[in-house]
Amino acid sequence: MLDMLFHPAMIRPLVAVIIASIVSSVVGVFTVLRGFSTLSAAITHSSFAGASIAVIYGVNPLLGALAVSLGFSGLTAYASRGNERRADVFVGMMFGFSTAIAVLFLSLARTYTATAWSFIVGDVLGVSLIDLYTLVAVAVVALCIVALFYKEFKFITFDPEAAEAMGLRASLYHYLMVFLIALFSVVAVKVVGIILAVVLLVAPAAAAYEFSHGLERMLSLSLLVSLASGVAGFLLSLYFNVATSAMIGICASAAYLAALLASPKRRRCAKCKEVATSRRVAKEV
Amino acid sequence: MRPVIYVEGLSVAYEDKLALEEVSFELREPAFLSVIGPNGSGKTTLLKALLGMVKPLSGTVEVLGYRVPGEEYEVRRRTGYVPQRERIDPTKPVLVKDVVLMGRVAKRGWGRGLTREDYEAARKALEVVGMEGFWDEPFSHLSGGQQQRVLIARALAVQPQLLLLDEPLSGVDAATQDVILKVLREEARKGVAVVMVTHDLNPLLEVSDYVMLLNKTVVAFGRAEEVLNEYLLARTFMRRVSVVKAGEKVVVSGVDHHA
Ligand SMILES: Nc1ncnc2c1ncn2[C@@H]1O[C@H](COP(=O)(O)OP(=O)(O)OP(=O)(O)O)[C@@H](O)[C@H]1O
Ligand SMILES: [Mg+2]
Repeated sequence: MLDMLFHPAMIRPLVAVIIASIVSSVVGVFTVLRGFSTLSAAITHSSFAGASIAVIYGVNPLLGALAVSLGFSGLTAYASRGNERRADVFVGMMFGFSTAIAVLFLSLARTYTATAWSFIVGDVLGVSLIDLYTLVAVAVVALCIVALFYKEFKFITFDPEAAEAMGLRASLYHYLMVFLIALFSVVAVKVVGIILAVVLLVAPAAAAYEFSHGLERMLSLSLLVSLASGVAGFLLSLYFNVATSAMIGICASAAYLAALLASPKRRRCAKCKEVATSRRVAKEV
Repeated sequence: MRPVIYVEGLSVAYEDKLALEEVSFELREPAFLSVIGPNGSGKTTLLKALLGMVKPLSGTVEVLGYRVPGEEYEVRRRTGYVPQRERIDPTKPVLVKDVVLMGRVAKRGWGRGLTREDYEAARKALEVVGMEGFWDEPFSHLSGGQQQRVLIARALAVQPQLLLLDEPLSGVDAATQDVILKVLREEARKGVAVVMVTHDLNPLLEVSDYVMLLNKTVVAFGRAEEVLNEYLLARTFMRRVSVVKAGEKVVVSGVDHHA
């Protein structure tokens, strides 16, 4: 297993997996805390549409994914200002619309099956050097945005109303956060594919949440879980000779379930419930 | 000198429903103003209108000498804001120090790190509300009254010219109410304009310079002792109330304090 890993052909995919894990862990924390997981699913589908359009015009699919998901996320952020219900419906609609566009363009392409399959379930073993450069560039931009605006994101995430009242440009940070998800979706479409992107985004952050009372801790735990499931999933997929994205998805989900079972926050709640129940029983008696 | 707050003929609507109608009042100098009204009377909307967070249908708003809307960011930068506590999801993972430092972040501008000055201001603000021992605690572990005090510390930490507080006394025990009111009184004495929204009437007379009774429009505005009478309160809350003077204190009954 290890010699497979050190095979030169495996280095590029491994680096891609690591990049995807890092980006997803950071972006995932804000996605989970702001309740953007449906939005993130819709955005990944738009990058699927972008990749499909790019295939038709002979452009690198990652660039297509980047362009369309950025445009889409801008549109969504604009539409979702103010009215939450309308935003929810809009996101749901666009979910279907971008999938339709993707399918439409893929049906026009000759290499339909193979290409479509690679966007849907990821194709990390087929990462080219150009792909890798694109992933690195996208990841650097995403991480820089988080580093620059970290404190503002923290404020907006915790208390959007007061953040705006005390002078933060709430809509600017809203856009930035949605753009971050778009950047992640570009990385995800290549590495794990659109179906599993949301798992990689949400599971590590959600697992970290169960063990965190501070944002910094949640970020570092999320990074740990994300890297562990990414790398473990990658190795296991080589070992069993199965789809990489599937193994990564399974590892991330398993980590989340384990975290949920072991969660001190949940256990504390269970204890509260016990006390409450026993009180109620005592009252009834 | 320009008035601290000048509002003339302000109307605000959400979609097709009026939340504020022809509201006019003026706070000439920095003072402690309490805004009292029942649920849905537009108290939160009024605070938001002062900061340009809702678009007025009509009317003029000037705060600290700045036009709103137009120069609302000038106002916001000089404002400490305490939101209605129920609007905050306390399960988000932040520590007390993070919360108190948030206000400083908003004033500092993006990309700039926090300085020692920011940390000192945050610690001092926590001390003022008596929460200095909780610096490293998770916000979610605090009681409601403690959370409220931390949120007030966050607003104080920016050393504001204007303090806007949305129901800071609701769901808080009498001892904590005293602490909060004492802190706000002290800020007002130092020249900060304090606008507090509440439906808790009893402790008010002692601390407020001015009282506004609000029910979509201004029912009454004036010195506390002029405004807090049975007739005006009944008109504001749309139900019978009785006002009993007990020495310095005024006790109002018939208004649901913990609605
Ligand atoms: N975002 C909104 N969209 C639509 N209607 C709203 C919105 N915010 C407030 N309203 C309506 O405007 C009116 C005034 O609301 P506001 O929140 O200002 O009242 P309030 O006095 O602060 O009430 P409470 O004591 O319950 O906090 C209410 O009838 C409310 O239903
Ligand atoms: Mg309110």
